[in-house]
Amino acid sequence: MSLRVLVSLFIFFFALLFGSGVRAEELNVYFKTTPRSQLLRPFVDPTDLSLLVTAADGRPIKHGTVAIRLDAPSPGSFFSTDIPMIEGTLLNQMQLPLREGRANWKQLFPIRGEYRVSVDVISADGMKASKAFAFTVRENEKKWLALGAFSSALFVLGFIAGRVFTGTGVRAVPVVLTAALLSAGISGAPQTEGPPKGVLEIEPAIVGRPSAVRWKLAGDGGGGARAATLTLTITHLEKQKVVFAVDRIAVPGEWSMQYNFPDGAEYRVVAAGYVAGQAPVRNEQVVTVTGVEPPASAMMPVLAFFTALVAAGLGAGRWSKRRSRTQR
Amino acid sequence: MERSVAGRLGFAVSERVSFLIKSGIFLSICAATMFVALAASYPAVHDTLHNVRHALAIVPCH
Repeated sequence: MSLRVLVSLFIFFFALLFGSGVRAEELNVYFKTTPRSQLLRPFVDPTDLSLLVTAADGRPIKHGTVAIRLDAPSPGSFFSTDIPMIEGTLLNQMQLPLREGRANWKQLFPIRGEYRVSVDVISADGMKASKAFAFTVRENEKKWLALGAFSSALFVLGFIAGRVFTGTGVRAVPVVLTAALLSAGISGAPQTEGPPKGVLEIEPAIVGRPSAVRWKLAGDGGGGARAATLTLTITHLEKQKVVFAVDRIAVPGEWSMQYNFPDGAEYRVVAAGYVAGQAPVRNEQVVTVTGVEPPASAMMPVLAFFTALVAAGLGAGRWSKRRSRTQR
Repeated sequence: MERSVAGRLGFAVSERVSFLIKSGIFLSICAATMFVALAASYPAVHDTLHNVRHALAIVPCH
């Protein structure tokens, strides 16, 4: 009997102590991609990502901020993706204001795999919530087709060579390697233009390492904390694709994020700030991202796989030739 | 050619060994060609075959 009383008291005090903590977690966070994640493909089109934060009653919270962290897919067990330096890295880290409970941004996903979004919400009245989401971006079917065709070609090449090499007669196997050598000069020092009212700063960008992208209103009167709305767009110049964008987010005169440029190419970063009663402030900068050579650990499995295909073709060709000879 | 080389050097190899030697040389050439085409960082080759590398899904590039 006394044991029951003790257990009841323990449960009562446990509920008293920890029950309030559970009740404080009253924010609901929803994450959505448009188009839906099943339709996403790497390096095709930027995706609209949106977060919705609601209170316990289901209504979007009026004000608040959300800290977002987007991580790239982890490296595969054997084959890498076409951009291995991005695998397992931080793609994007930023803080966005919530507008009617929503935060939206555009992002181009560079590789296939499972992306992870970590969200930390703080509402204006101090309520906090954290949530993690994961979604998978599947590889482009055209790439799998190209890989299949290339693998088949290697097998056929080995097959023919295996037939030729089998037997007494030796025929020369022409191996023609045609390589059109075109050299393209890398140029393009970062250039800054635009009215002096805004400052756009971008750290030297290297693939696989997030760079700080900062925008702020220049102090033409020391108004560093002036409210503004900011539209920032990063465009891949060669592919002419938007890889990241935020549209008219409310910022206190400055905004920054960590952004991982997905490949070694040129990007245009355009920031447009709008301050009430003033002309828009536009800044533009072209960033040349330094590419990093993939590690040998990413190269070797692929080369071994392709060479093994040729070897398999050789074996099949030899088997085929010997079989046809014995049947005669 | 194989016979003339064998005649000059004064030795002959069996068909199986001959196949293995030829296959080994052929595989080495193929592997070297693929390394240059798909993995070498030499700018001229890389820039020319950049899109091919990305199109194959599993070939690492930057």
